[in-house]
Amino acid sequence: MNIAIAGAGLVGRLLALNLLQEGHCITLYDADSAYGEEAAGMTAAGMLALFAELESAESVIFDIGKRSIALWPSLLEQLGIPDAYQQEGSIITAHPQDYSELDHFIATLRAKVSEASEIGMLDAAGIGALEPDLSQHRKAFFIPHEGQVDAQRFMQRAAEYLLEHPLVTWHQCYGVERVEEGSIISGGKRRSYDWVFDSRGLGANVQLDDLRGVRGEVLWVDAPEVRIGRPTRMLHPRYKLYIVPRPNHRYIIGATEIESEDRSPISVRSSLELLSALYSMHTGFAEARIVKSVTNCRPALRDNLPRIEQHEKMTRINGLYRHGYLMAPAVVEQALNEGIYKMEGATA
Amino acid sequence: MTKILENGNEMWEIGGKTLSSRLLIGSALYPSPASMEQAIRVSGAQIVTVALRRQAAGEGGGNHYWNIIKEMGLSVLPNTAGCHSAKEAITTAQMAREVFGTNWIKLEVIGDQYNLQPDPYETLKAAEVLVKEGFEVFPYTTDDLVVAKRLVDAGCRILMPWGSPIGSGKGLMNPYNLRAIREAFPDLTLIVDAGIGKPSHAVLAMEMGYDAILLNSAIALSHDPVRMAEAFRYAVEAGRAGYEAGMMPEREFASPSTPTVGTPFWHQNK
Repeated sequence: MNIAIAGAGLVGRLLALNLLQEGHCITLYDADSAYGEEAAGMTAAGMLALFAELESAESVIFDIGKRSIALWPSLLEQLGIPDAYQQEGSIITAHPQDYSELDHFIATLRAKVSEASEIGMLDAAGIGALEPDLSQHRKAFFIPHEGQVDAQRFMQRAAEYLLEHPLVTWHQCYGVERVEEGSIISGGKRRSYDWVFDSRGLGANVQLDDLRGVRGEVLWVDAPEVRIGRPTRMLHPRYKLYIVPRPNHRYIIGATEIESEDRSPISVRSSLELLSALYSMHTGFAEARIVKSVTNCRPALRDNLPRIEQHEKMTRINGLYRHGYLMAPAVVEQALNEGIYKMEGATA
Repeated sequence: MTKILENGNEMWEIGGKTLSSRLLIGSALYPSPASMEQAIRVSGAQIVTVALRRQAAGEGGGNHYWNIIKEMGLSVLPNTAGCHSAKEAITTAQMAREVFGTNWIKLEVIGDQYNLQPDPYETLKAAEVLVKEGFEVFPYTTDDLVVAKRLVDAGCRILMPWGSPIGSGKGLMNPYNLRAIREAFPDLTLIVDAGIGKPSHAVLAMEMGYDAILLNSAIALSHDPVRMAEAFRYAVEAGRAGYEAGMMPEREFASPSTPTVGTPFWHQNK
């Protein structure tokens, strides 16, 4: 079939990778270049935090997340970067004066999913055994099932793979005005396809009026003195900090969450919050170098949950909010099974 | 006296509006805008506070979020959360008046970063200016009686002393001070703002004769915000009804409502 995908971000790329396995002909449209600088999936740290995210999300994300974690290894295998996936667990800690945050955190998780009862508390020795650099912390939770995808490597490698693929045409820097049933409207021109996907994220806001952007700011630091191997969160009454390790002592520090569609650079206040929390995690971050700051907006719907809309010859996927990497593979799988594959099955 | 009742609640007046609910609710920290909307509806609150974080108010700022709140048709009480000086708070209040089209402002000037204790000096300074500029100021303050008096002298017609620090959930730390403020200002509108962690805290404050309760975290951070919103609705109603009904006096001994038949009277008080 001749299929068009509007929006070549995380969801668009995953759609293309899945559809190519069925031998379909793919045309990608994106307002951005294939580097994906504007894509939320390029700003993301790629955490697969199916438990920790439940602190402020509904329990449905748990099942979606579990399925995605099962799907990621083969997707990254398809791209030849299996090492971009890591599942060695994650650490949740807090300062002694904020230990009540840890209690609230675990109580919330246990109230939402029964599996959370398996999450164990670590003492200083337990923390030191997993992450020697964090052994000054005396209390933490270890969540063995969690991990991360190297988001930027996935985005980059997926772009290379798709650009090289003979069945793929990619219109870069090519904005789409509307996605309608079986057609893409761009530059006032309508092009027809056997099926179209709308995975434009915030770019779809003209067609989805309950879509909003939630500003997030992240910092990248290089810290040769720090050795943390697992995604680590620090709970605090007001700031939520995570540290996601990348190769060569690079760490992604995030993320603020502000109800705004402002994409201007990171504010001084947010930088102070993120960096003081970072420094309090490990004094070795004092001499780290801030190599980059990134601001972007997460596409979110009112319930902050993803939405799949099936129409005649068209599927829309949106609202992955702050859970892109945790949910996209499973959401894409479900969207394909309930839409185009079901239709193919019916006509075959 | 004729009482106007709505849903069984006596109507009351605040800042020129007549309301039936005595619960003021915050709009932060919910898992999603949808759960916020549902929790607010279930709480029955008619006033919702909104933080106007300065960086979110720019062009294309958090319009979607504001719109969700506006669509609910409730009275919006913008607040100056995040301000640390009178000057910042005044600018934020002026901005809020533009954005929300209301002269109501919750004046919150923080003096301590960690426990978010209000700064009485800067709060007072800002209150003086804002009252003159025609704002209806809802000042967030500690339970200090003298600070309360100064704010009233500055022209505030509403006071919002804390129960305990914001987000601490510790309830009414100093009921004696709160009672002293209530007694000192019998006709002023008094709202306990901050520190309420569970429904029983709200009941206590309302039983003391406070006019209303303002809270956010206790609902938004519960495992089920909608259910907790319902709990607080009843708590505030129960506390108010108790206050209006007039409570029996406490006694230092047990006093059976009916003498126990068959027990000689000289044994009944042993």
